[in-house]
Amino acid sequence: MRRPFILVLAVALALAAAGCGSSGDGDSGAASGGSSQVKVGIIPILDVAPIYLGKQKGFFSSRKIELTLESGQGGAAIVPGVVSGQFQFGFSNVTSLLIASTRGLPLKVVSNGVASTGKDKADFGGVVAKDASIRTAADLAGKRVAVNTLKNIGDSTIRASVRKAGGDPSSIKFVELAFPDMPAALQAGRVDAIWVVEPFLSTSLGQGGHLIASNYVDAAPDLTVAVYFTSRQLIEKDPDLVKRFTEAMTESLAYADAHPDEARQVLTSYTKIDPGVIQKLTLPKWPPQINRASVQTLADLALKDGLVTKPPDLAALLP
Amino acid sequence: MSPARSRRVLGTAGLLGFLALLEVAPRAGLVPDRNLPPTSRIAGALADELGQPSFWAALGDTLQGWAIGLAVAVAAGVGLGLLLGSVPALRAVTGSTIEFLRPIPSVALIPLAVLLFGTDLRSKLLLVVYASFWQVLIQVLYGVQDVDPVAMETARSYRLGRWARIRHVVWPTALPYALTGFRLAAAVALVLAITAELIIGNPGLGKEIAVAQTSGAVAATYALVVVAGLLGVGVNLLARALERRLLAWHPSARREAGG
Repeated sequence: MRRPFILVLAVALALAAAGCGSSGDGDSGAASGGSSQVKVGIIPILDVAPIYLGKQKGFFSSRKIELTLESGQGGAAIVPGVVSGQFQFGFSNVTSLLIASTRGLPLKVVSNGVASTGKDKADFGGVVAKDASIRTAADLAGKRVAVNTLKNIGDSTIRASVRKAGGDPSSIKFVELAFPDMPAALQAGRVDAIWVVEPFLSTSLGQGGHLIASNYVDAAPDLTVAVYFTSRQLIEKDPDLVKRFTEAMTESLAYADAHPDEARQVLTSYTKIDPGVIQKLTLPKWPPQINRASVQTLADLALKDGLVTKPPDLAALLP
Repeated sequence: MSPARSRRVLGTAGLLGFLALLEVAPRAGLVPDRNLPPTSRIAGALADELGQPSFWAALGDTLQGWAIGLAVAVAAGVGLGLLLGSVPALRAVTGSTIEFLRPIPSVALIPLAVLLFGTDLRSKLLLVVYASFWQVLIQVLYGVQDVDPVAMETARSYRLGRWARIRHVVWPTALPYALTGFRLAAAVALVLAITAELIIGNPGLGKEIAVAQTSGAVAATYALVVVAGLLGVGVNLLARALERRLLAWHPSARREAGG
């Protein structure tokens, strides 16, 4: 009885000590060799291929940025992470940022993220239906349509699609579902149509679904879908770092856009998408510049659909 | 065949039958094979994962978070349990606070963990420690209450000091309770480690599952879930082995060995 007591006590103390030591290590964010340690909150989807490719190509290290990409599922942690300083930069869709900025969060866009291809029925996202009676966006009136997040860029741009096709968007019943669950929900008839992005767009079309609308294309020409952003505190504290990040990001976007094969290749490094699917899926566009007119359109749509209660201050949000 | 042996044979047969059913059902078209791939395809995806360094790194991250969180929870639970249990006034003062804090589900603290620590190890540890600490603390408190008053009085009349009384009277009584707490905490710690990775995105198996899901890699998702399950089995076996070893002297363990 004496030995177990001492054994347990010793093990507990040793492990507790190890615990303290280890959690202390996590704090050592000091710069090494004069370069800045930068954490970027992202979602591990194909939209962020340029930042992975840019890291691989050394566009960040050449500007003395040591990049760590942190991917939380669905990105719930990204905006709070950037505001609290856990991440220096984050990746978010434009509508989410417009909503956050009207709520007074101190955020500022620093670089473009990803854009629609601008080609109807050939975009990296779209609305898919199974029932042959649903042929155009106008047929969605009164139907159940799945989006990944309610009151966000998906339902907002789908409403624009429906208006453009001459339908009435007010009677659509939007249902919240995660992208990976959508193809199965459509197959089982739990929803009438789904709004999906790649690789689930390919999956769903392969299962006999048909594309009825490219909502990003219908909302605005060459729509800027998502962007990289930072907090106002960081802009005040370290404007040089923000400038270097923007430059590296701009170079990465241009490179990825010009080298789609390398962009497809880099997907295998951070996603588990089947290599056969990667070769065939539709890539988005990665223009280096933000399409300001399209951001204005998203802001107008957000106001019209009641996602925000006052017009977002674009001059303050955009660079 | 001895009863123990026949039980083992039947158990193996049951498992094989279950795996065969999972192989046949999607192939026969009873369930869509895209949503539930046959066992063989999951096994193939598992073999793929085992060949990747990123898988082993993720497994290491999960085990690290589990072990550190569990150690902190056990050390704090045992220490505080012995202290609160041996001082009745302290026990009375803290009782209502413990009963208030204990039922808060650890997952409800996810927003707080994200706000405080982002996606680094500490947010995972917060959840793991919070969930497993109570399991140990409550068991140790019960254990201390269970001390035989006559044995305690005897120890006093032999002039054993406070430390000696804790070590020779309180601790042997509380140890079986503490080990039960450890076994419960070990299982809960694993659940919370993987939950944190899945939802917050801390590096680990849970995050790999999330990545496989967002990539539409259904077979890989199942393969990683199988690994998480095997990890759970391993943790339970480990806790039971520890229990058997540390409680070899205890009447309950001796009875089991004799029968």
